Amino acid sequence: MLAGTAIALLVVMAMALIRALLGPTIYDRILAVNLFGTKTVLLIAVAGFLFGRPDFLDIALTYALINFISVIGVLRFFEYSNAQTDGKGA
Amino acid sequence: MGQILDFTLLFLLLVTAVATARVRDLFAAVMLSGIYGLVSASFFVTMDAVDVAFTEAAVGAGVFPLLLLAVLAMVGRYEKTAYRRPWAALILVTITGAMLVNGTLDMPAFGSADSPAQQHVAQRYIEESPEEIGIPNMVTSVLASYRGYDTLGEVVVIFTAAIGVLALLPSLGGGVRRKRESDGMGDHQVLRIVSKILMPVILLFALYVQFHGEYGPGGGFQAGVIFAAGIILYTMLFGLDTAQAVIKPSVLRVLAATGVLLYGGVGLLSFLSGANFLDYSALAEDPVSGQHIGIILIELGVGITVAAAIILIFFAFSEAAGENGEET
Repeated sequence: MLAGTAIALLVVMAMALIRALLGPTIYDRILAVNLFGTKTVLLIAVAGFLFGRPDFLDIALTYALINFISVIGVLRFFEYSNAQTDGKGA
Repeated sequence: MGQILDFTLLFLLLVTAVATARVRDLFAAVMLSGIYGLVSASFFVTMDAVDVAFTEAAVGAGVFPLLLLAVLAMVGRYEKTAYRRPWAALILVTITGAMLVNGTLDMPAFGSADSPAQQHVAQRYIEESPEEIGIPNMVTSVLASYRGYDTLGEVVVIFTAAIGVLALLPSLGGGVRRKRESDGMGDHQVLRIVSKILMPVILLFALYVQFHGEYGPGGGFQAGVIFAAGIILYTMLFGLDTAQAVIKPSVLRVLAATGVLLYGGVGLLSFLSGANFLDYSALAEDPVSGQHIGIILIELGVGITVAAAIILIFFAFSEAAGENGEET
């Protein structure tokens, strides 16, 4: 059961990676990275129980926090650089 | 199952690495480097190197892309050099890579009991550390006590990195600062409220990682990075000026030095108590509780320095990006 879940997660991770590689717009990539992060959290949690090491959950928690922060960082950067180009155009 | 997991993760790692090197859009490269961090941390988890995975999660997937983004805000989004194929470099890298792969063939199998790494001091650490140090997480015993000297060196490296960045980028808080008009995220109500709820949890989690490092994965390095990530989140949402009013860069500079001093001070104290440098057994009547006191103190020093150094570096980058943006 857990093994099946892990394989399903790996497949989804590969699909998210393909999306991040292809793009084409920047939002596709951001969404792909965000999705990849979420799946990593789940994969680590599943791996923790699969290998009988539930203390992996601490790492999964870190990922969940960090993922949130980095997505906001990315969007913030994008908003900032958009504001810059707008300023130049005007 | 473990093998499928390892194989797939390594394959994803390879694809991500090649793509990161090939992509011309630097923003996409930063995104891919974030994925690289996530995959390598998952890989470390499956190899049971939980503490390393923890560090990779906090640094490789978290703070590193954020710092790269801050750099991108300064240098622009696209690579400037014309695309040409550097064949000589490629051949050199291929040969070096082939030699390294060839070298790994002679290495003992992963987890093999007769590999030199297991034969040397690891045996002793596993057998003696429960009595000598008496904490459940052996990684922390090795890192903070047996190899305390190395860790002191690492903390000094981080401290030096912060000094280097501050010396290269415009000085923080020095000179006349112009007030920026569009600071922070404008009217992003939802993000602000969510972050206000999340901030205390992130900082609390950092403290948990800091003081739980002896029992579970974690310790000063990871805690410092998570703490810094919380402050970085605050900076991104409420603006650099607000964040610097909350945590003054001058205080951070003192804190970055305080952590290293605390670490060195513990070493000096054990030296003066009649033991070797960084031998915490002399810090209390009972050697084991002496070890506990020493490890908690030096982990605290590590955490303070790492958090202060990363926040300082981030402040310096966002300040430089802000200045740059105003001038162009």
